[in-house]
Amino acid sequence: MQRALARAIAAFSSTVFLAEIERPPLESVALFPNQAQGNPQQAQPPATNPAAPSLGDLGFPPAQTQGNPEEQARLDQRSHMLKIHQRLGLVTTIPLLATVITGSFAGGKSTSSTTRDLHAALGSVTGGLYFTTAYFSIFAPRVPGTQTRGQIRLHKALAWIHGPGMILTPILGAMAFEQKSRGEKIHGAASAHGAVGYVTAAAYGLAIASVSFKF
Amino acid sequence: MYTKLVLPLLLFPALAQNGHAADTQWVLQQSTLTYHVSHPLHQTEGVSHAAKGKGVCHAGLCDFLIAVPVKSFDSGDSNRDLHMLQATRGAQFPMVVVRTRVPEDASKSTMVQADLEIQFAGQTAQYKQVPFQVVAQGSQIRISGTIPATISDFKIDPPSLLSIAVKNEMPVRVEMAWQGQ
Repeated sequence: MQRALARAIAAFSSTVFLAEIERPPLESVALFPNQAQGNPQQAQPPATNPAAPSLGDLGFPPAQTQGNPEEQARLDQRSHMLKIHQRLGLVTTIPLLATVITGSFAGGKSTSSTTRDLHAALGSVTGGLYFTTAYFSIFAPRVPGTQTRGQIRLHKALAWIHGPGMILTPILGAMAFEQKSRGEKIHGAASAHGAVGYVTAAAYGLAIASVSFKF
Repeated sequence: MYTKLVLPLLLFPALAQNGHAADTQWVLQQSTLTYHVSHPLHQTEGVSHAAKGKGVCHAGLCDFLIAVPVKSFDSGDSNRDLHMLQATRGAQFPMVVVRTRVPEDASKSTMVQADLEIQFAGQTAQYKQVPFQVVAQGSQIRISGTIPATISDFKIDPPSLLSIAVKNEMPVRVEMAWQGQ
C-alpha cells in the first residue's frame, strides 16, 4: 500500500516526500539504534544522540591519533635502561664516599699503607660501578626530536665534569701511589689527585641532587 | 481518494520539521588541562593546551567529546615527560579521550555535575557526578573543575624516584572555554 502511494506521489513531489513515505510507521521501530539497550538515566527516548561527535570530527591528524608500538617499545627500552642507570648511580655513591673518606688517610709517611691500599681498592670499585652506570645512560635509546629541557640539562652537563674526572683521578692516583711506594714526596701532576678527586665527587653528588630535588 | 491520502502526506514534512528541532553545537575554543603528581621529593604538574572538543545538543541533551594528545603535556622537564609518555603507554595510546553527556540547560547553571568516561593508557574509567563550575561570558561558556583521577584507575605502574613511588592520586584540573554555534 505504501509503495503504491510512493509511486503515485513521485510524479509531482520531491525526494523528501519519498524518504518519509517509504519509512515504516513511527511507532513500530526505534528511532535511534541504541534505544533498545536502555538508558536508566533517561525516562524518555532518544537514548543516544545520532549526531554525537566522534574523534574524527575533532580535526586531529591521523598520525597523532594512531598508536605506534615501535615507538612504545623504544620508550620502554629507554626507561628500563635509565632505571638501571638510576639504581647503579645510587649504589655507586657508597664506594665513592668511602673512597673520598679513606683518601684523607691515604697520604701517610710510610711507603706501605693499608689505608692507601684500601683507598686504591675502593677507588677501583667506584670506577667500575661508575662506568657501568654511565653505560646505561649513554646507550639508552634516544627519542628523535626531543629537546632537552629542565633540570635534566644540569644533570647532563655535570657529566662533562665528573666523567673526565673519573678518568683523570685514578690516573693521577696511580702516579701518586707509585711515588709514595718509592718513598718520594708526591709531586707534579700527581699532587692534583686529591683536588681532582674532590671536584669529581662534588660534581657527581650535584648530578644526583639535580634529578632528586627541585631547585 | 488520492486527495485524502496525499493532503496529510503533504503536511508531513512540516510535522517532521516541528518534531526535530535544529541541533546546537559547541566547539572548544581554549583549554588548560593540568595533571598533578605527588612524590615526597617532588610535586609535579604537567600542562596541556592542545585539547580539542566538540559538543552536539539534541532533544535536550548534549554529548561532548574532548580529546588531548598525551604528548602535549609539558611538565617543564623533557626527561620526566618522556618517562610519563612511557609509563602511560602514550606512544601506543596517544590520545586521552573524554566523553560526557549533560542536559542542554546546563549552560544556564553555575554548577553542573557530569558523569565522565575517560579513555587513557588503553583503559577506560568512569567518574560519576564530577562537579564543574559554569560561567557564561557573552557567547562563551567557561567550565572549570577537577577530575579525581588516580594512577591505578588506568593500570599505570606508578613511577618512582629514589625507590619511592609517587602517590596514586593524579587529579586533573580542567579549564575550558566553549563557543556555541
